[in-house]
Amino acid sequence: MAQLATQIVINGLASSLVYILMALGFTLIFGIMRVVNFAHGELYMIAAFIVYFFVGSLGWNYYLVVVLAAVAVGLFGAGLERALLRPFIGRELNGMIMAVAISMTLQSAAFILFGPDELSAPRPVAGVIRLGAIVVALDRLVVGIIALFILAVFYLFMRYTKLGLAMRAVVQDEEIASIHGIRARVIHPLAFGLGSMLAGFAGALMAPIYTVYPYMGAQPMLKAFIVVILGGLGSIPGAVLGGVVLGLTESVFATLISTTIATMVSFGIVVLILLVKPTGLMGRSGR
Amino acid sequence: MKSVVTHFALIAALAAWPFVVRQPFLTHVGIMIALYATLALSMNLMLRIGQISFAHGAFMGLGAYGSALFMMRLDLPFFAAFLGAGLAVSVVAWLVGQIFLKIRGVYFVLLTFSFGEIIVLLFIEWVGLFGGSNGLANVPPPGLFGHQIQGRGGFYLLALALATFAYLSVRAIYRSELGAVITSLDENENLSRSLGIDAHQYRLLTFCFSAFLAGLAGALYGHYLTLVTPDDYGFSVSVNLVVMNVIGGISDPIGVVLGALLLTILPEFLRDAQQYHGLVYGLLLIVFLLFMPEGLYGAIRRFRRNKWEGSA
Repeated sequence: MAQLATQIVINGLASSLVYILMALGFTLIFGIMRVVNFAHGELYMIAAFIVYFFVGSLGWNYYLVVVLAAVAVGLFGAGLERALLRPFIGRELNGMIMAVAISMTLQSAAFILFGPDELSAPRPVAGVIRLGAIVVALDRLVVGIIALFILAVFYLFMRYTKLGLAMRAVVQDEEIASIHGIRARVIHPLAFGLGSMLAGFAGALMAPIYTVYPYMGAQPMLKAFIVVILGGLGSIPGAVLGGVVLGLTESVFATLISTTIATMVSFGIVVLILLVKPTGLMGRSGR
Repeated sequence: MKSVVTHFALIAALAAWPFVVRQPFLTHVGIMIALYATLALSMNLMLRIGQISFAHGAFMGLGAYGSALFMMRLDLPFFAAFLGAGLAVSVVAWLVGQIFLKIRGVYFVLLTFSFGEIIVLLFIEWVGLFGGSNGLANVPPPGLFGHQIQGRGGFYLLALALATFAYLSVRAIYRSELGAVITSLDENENLSRSLGIDAHQYRLLTFCFSAFLAGLAGALYGHYLTLVTPDDYGFSVSVNLVVMNVIGGISDPIGVVLGALLLTILPEFLRDAQQYHGLVYGLLLIVFLLFMPEGLYGAIRRFRRNKWEGSA
């Protein structure tokens, strides 16, 4: 029983880390630009395809490609903000529809380029570690460690750099921030790029673990969405808390009942939270 | 009076169309256009009150499953099952609308989105009633006055009747005082409330009627395909409806029908290149959002006005 519980917790935390990576970008973008980024899953998908192509087909070093993919997706995201989303600042519903349009376009573009097949990227490491009766897959462990590292760097960036401070200020109150000389024109693409980069990291890290295909972004996007509602749209500590809560809840229900029930329960929780406290577990009251 | 005559003539022409042209494929396209026009009009009602619902795919699905199950399990005649399904969907909308409609903006969208996902998961998980991922096969064909409707021509007439009902009712709503109230809820709710208007009740009414139309369209869709599967009623349905509204123009029901027409014809003729659907949809949506936010209808109107002013 204790072993089962530990295994559930370990599995749950392993998924949590990736959920948090996705959710942090999603929530950062919402917090700063008030855009519900329905294209977040496609950014994840693009990074996974980059890994598939450069590691799988060209045989480049996996860890190098992870960084390259994340940076490329980050730049792409900043470009998207500049070209397509900027006109919709302050118009939340239209911005959201634009994000849906971007998501559809990217999905079909990937479909046309790569076809519908589920491809697999080579794993950087294989095998498992056994601690007594508890089994941890080695590739998951590596992904977990890298994800933790990225989260730590992100935290330090937001906490101790001037840019991080500026971004947190915009999340809190854009008008007051602008009085202090923080320019939205600079912060918006930066935040969208940074959020996209985090999605890129998540996609690149998960590419060898799951299969790579045009619609692979839908699932992690849904998870990010649940996590962010749990924690509060726009709240960065909330995304971390939400990620842990979702990872653990899912792990419990998926192990004991079934994954469909697990998803239903998490959506049920989302509905309850939106009704009772739309600002989420850690959110502030709306503007 | 003149408009009544033109409307009748138009509807008669539309009704006669497949029996003159006699092309099964075109009749099929006509059925899809009529169903999507109904659905897009139902979404238009939601856009009017400024609350985009991503649960409309689920409402359509509830209509499809409802009508099929009423006929298969309860042996109800078609019309009773069809109407019953529509009413059942509006009861669901009334129940959830009580609390959902108190939430505004993005949060309402996300709420309806989650609700829709739960309904679709329910279709998959409750195998005993909804048949799981395989759905319900062999949905019985509709029958009216003792006649079984199986051919495409009959379906086309049914779908056209439904679309006509949807169009006329939505148009009548917008032209009446009710329409003015509904639009005011999006534009300045506080002002309408200060006039003694119970905003929440009007919202609820709109939501229920919108769900009713979506449920009816779903019911007919299920009978037409004779197969009801959970995949057909997900999030993407609602997205397509929003796309139709944006591209056609949300300010007038004619624009909405135009959007449904265009975006139904396009994929049906792109059949050989199915992977391009999404690309065309997505790119069109991006272009319209950026450059023609009033949609085709708005563009046509502006064009005609400019021409008129130019000649004067």
